[in-house]
Amino acid sequence: MSGRRSRSRQSSGTSRISEDQINDLIIKLQQLLPELRDSRRSDKVSAARVLQDTCNYIRNLHREVDDLSERLSELLANTDTAQAALIRSLLTQ
Amino acid sequence: MDSMTPQLLHPTTSSSSDRSRRKRKKKSSPTSLDSSLEKWRSEKQQQIYSTKLVRALKELRISQQPSSSSSSSVPRGGRAVREVADRALAVAARGKTLWSRAILSKAVKLKFRKQKRQRISNPVTTMLTTGSIRSKKQRATVLRLKAKGLPAVQRKVKLLSRLVPGCRKQTLPVVLEETTDYIAAMEMQIRTMTAILSAVSSSPPPPPGHDGGQTHMLG
Repeated sequence: MSGRRSRSRQSSGTSRISEDQINDLIIKLQQLLPELRDSRRSDKVSAARVLQDTCNYIRNLHREVDDLSERLSELLANTDTAQAALIRSLLTQ
Repeated sequence: MDSMTPQLLHPTTSSSSDRSRRKRKKKSSPTSLDSSLEKWRSEKQQQIYSTKLVRALKELRISQQPSSSSSSSVPRGGRAVREVADRALAVAARGKTLWSRAILSKAVKLKFRKQKRQRISNPVTTMLTTGSIRSKKQRATVLRLKAKGLPAVQRKVKLLSRLVPGCRKQTLPVVLEETTDYIAAMEMQIRTMTAILSAVSSSPPPPPGHDGGQTHMLG
């Protein structure tokens, strides 16, 4: 972390973060996105593209979690099977 | 007479392999972000979260069983499960990230607002947000960033900061860091919940489809 800080140049008085740091973070973010990670072209993807895809990806993840929670809640509503199955899953893990 | 000397083989090879393994494990300079991402991908973390989640779900079911709800207004159905899962995820983050603290403080704030209506906000919220309160030095907010001055990028970062909990008024690099951790954590959350569903129900749920129109698997 100290290495990163020493690299930052004082471009303006207010912003303490250098552009390199931001680019690093955006590249790291790009690695996480499934669609941008697999097709990695030699030229950089624009930051706006990465951010847009990140927003979409997070919305997708939210939707998946909501969907899974719905299913889990349906399962929980069914008491007997749910309880036995939960215990079973805890034991088999 | 065979004089097997296994001790010749074992110590040297094991120590050398250990040393090589130790060398291989040490990466160049692991940043805190990398190590946190690795943590969310590890099997152990998934086990930990899975047990936490199952326990929390059991409590949820027990609290929803009696029709007369006691004190806290527990939302019904999928919404409740989602909140429980998010809270368990935030606990698994061990309070090191902004989004986890924001999720937890959301839950606590609601409780306080229910019980005490008189002197609510000031002492509680300052206690809760000490993590995010910085000194009043100049910092590069999302609004006043001179480096990435493109309006398109700024707009998208604002959007992003609204999606990740607790990042609405944060600086650009903070938002990016929190986003990476948040995405890794959510991926683990989804993996865990899918595993629980497939372990509990007889028929495994269809895999999370990346393509749009998804038909049910018959049979």
